Amino acid sequence: MLWSALLLPAPDDTASPTDAALQALAIWALQFTPRVAVADEAVVMELAASVRLFGGWRALRERVASEGAELGVRQVAWAPNSLAALALARAGVDDGFRQPLDVSLDALPMETLSAVRPHRLTLAHIGCRTLGDVRRLPRGGIGRRFDKQLLAALDQAYGRAPEVHRWIALPERFAQRLELMFRVDDAPALLFGARRLLLSLCGWLAARHSGTTAFTLRWAHDAMRSKAAGEGGEITIRTAEPTRDIEHLCRLLGEHLARVELLAPVGDLVLTADTVMPLEETSASLLPDTVRQGETLHLVLERLAARLGPQRVLRPVLCEDHRPEWMCRWQPAAEPLPRKPAMASELPQPGFILSAPLKLLVRGNRPYYQGELQMLAGPQRVDGGWWDRDEAAGQMRHVVRDYWVAQSQQAGVLWVFQTRLDEAPAWYLHGVYA
Amino acid sequence: MQAAPAWQADDPLATTPSPSRPARQPGELPAAVAAALWRGDQLGSPVSAVSPSGFAALDAQLPGGGWPGHAVTEILSAQSGTLEWRLLGPLLRQVCAAGRSVVVVGPPRQPHLPGLRFEGVTERHLVWVQADTASERLWSAEQLVKANACGALIAWLPQARPEQVRRLQVLASSCEGPVFLCRPATAAHESSAAPLRLLARVGVDWELLVDVFKRKGPPLETTLHLPSVPGGLQAILTPRLHKPSTLLPRDPAPQTAPSPFSREAGHALVSAPAAGTRRHRLAH
Repeated sequence: MLWSALLLPAPDDTASPTDAALQALAIWALQFTPRVAVADEAVVMELAASVRLFGGWRALRERVASEGAELGVRQVAWAPNSLAALALARAGVDDGFRQPLDVSLDALPMETLSAVRPHRLTLAHIGCRTLGDVRRLPRGGIGRRFDKQLLAALDQAYGRAPEVHRWIALPERFAQRLELMFRVDDAPALLFGARRLLLSLCGWLAARHSGTTAFTLRWAHDAMRSKAAGEGGEITIRTAEPTRDIEHLCRLLGEHLARVELLAPVGDLVLTADTVMPLEETSASLLPDTVRQGETLHLVLERLAARLGPQRVLRPVLCEDHRPEWMCRWQPAAEPLPRKPAMASELPQPGFILSAPLKLLVRGNRPYYQGELQMLAGPQRVDGGWWDRDEAAGQMRHVVRDYWVAQSQQAGVLWVFQTRLDEAPAWYLHGVYA
Repeated sequence: MQAAPAWQADDPLATTPSPSRPARQPGELPAAVAAALWRGDQLGSPVSAVSPSGFAALDAQLPGGGWPGHAVTEILSAQSGTLEWRLLGPLLRQVCAAGRSVVVVGPPRQPHLPGLRFEGVTERHLVWVQADTASERLWSAEQLVKANACGALIAWLPQARPEQVRRLQVLASSCEGPVFLCRPATAAHESSAAPLRLLARVGVDWELLVDVFKRKGPPLETTLHLPSVPGGLQAILTPRLHKPSTLLPRDPAPQTAPSPFSREAGHALVSAPAAGTRRHRLAH
């Protein structure tokens, strides 16, 4: 049995940590094991079956310690049972396996066991300081003079009696609130609080074997706000594929928060998971060389799109059209491509195209672009689009052109066309065979 | 990099030289030492993988025989957007065939997929990052290099400073795919951390003229002539069009003296072809 106790600090010395904080910590802990319980001011979990899945005890300990510290855990302790782990955590000892359990427990102050606390004064008067002192008292005497819980708790802590726990059940929906420690004026600074919520969200997703594709961060303004500022605001982050990678979610949220301007200082954060989808995990490889380092492309593109805007990270879609402007359409990279690709023409096309054709200078009926152009091949007549009309601009997209491949000594191989319908035929540069 | 085990090359117990090992000249190094020694006039062998460039003449001059991975390659040209696809097309074909993506950051003009298909680029494997300002381009390129997610990255960085190129080069050491930075020809005068730098321009006769002015090894003295016909034009080239330089009106071609005719001849070819030339009329 491998138990871990995660001790949360109380907001002030007298009160115990809030139920919400314990609940949030328990939800995060559920990603490691389904056996998670709340005991007094700590969360305890049983991890013996999960050690191998998380890469060994050392890796698991380090992960619990580092992520727990981000969630505000004051002390983590490991022991063969939950009461011992809790007592060790209260005493500030982290490893209960270094010595035999009796030895390490005997040295602890007796208040570290919750069942001792009601009888603390009486026990102190008969000279008890440590748990060892209490244990050495005659069992019959303890049973008669004190209540039954004390003996039972002592037996359980020393591993001589079984324990009973009420396991925490995983909630169906994720919605968590966090009161910030101080008022935040700057939107990017919200990320520090939001990261704590995201950690909990990722734990919840891991426990459900799911990933999220949309989550919402809401913030409530401080009570001292001006009336114009309103109650608060919210931001919804969408991802292309379900994920529960904390670093990726944090960076995405950071990019979005960088563009938010807060109207008033913020006191509260609420994070909800809007869309949750099952996530299929990839098996780890036995051989190290087949494992690719780095992220997948869509994660990077998502981050680029978050900063630059989705309209600027594009993938092409071929369209069945002969007019070069409408042969290829660019759509945001996150959108799915059509399943059936369009047939494209086998005629030569340039690799770069000008978004608007450039009118060329004509001298003596010959077009000039960085010197005189030499026509190599053509004409390729493109005539079509009389049915197509740009409603917004109020003009036809009818194209009547003769395309030529031209060569310029400076600019390489160019794609130019001559209009036929206009009164004065003109030459335009439209693409570069680059 | 040891050609022969040490005991084979320098065996003190061998009393008679074996017939396979000729007597050593004074001053000549043992074979094992000579194989491990790199001389200043040889091409350096890159430690990382390379991908063939598709041009035999260029492969012969690049260290390792191809575009290097784990490193930044600079392609300088006087005008951006005139030759990039032609030079990198064979590589992009391999990358797309392997199912990896080609990401272009900040190209000077809009990429045209129908033309790129002739270079082997498919629609599922091309991503265009429209980054306009210099800082956006650098940031996008840096993110993509850091993530090591794309098969090939081509970034147009006209205003990159040497320290920014150095930063990309350091990051690219952990990026498998080749990273190309397209910069103006004036950048040739600046120092750069990129281990391979080329100056390319378009030749008249369907060729690219490439100067490899920095590589691991001595700089290349001669200009490479790489044959390249872009965008599916190969299918429609007539025999006369294979040598456009002979059609140039102003160039005094060796076989035709500069006469008032030559200009007319060049013009006549395109507007009213002679009976012998096949005219390609591509009409929809």
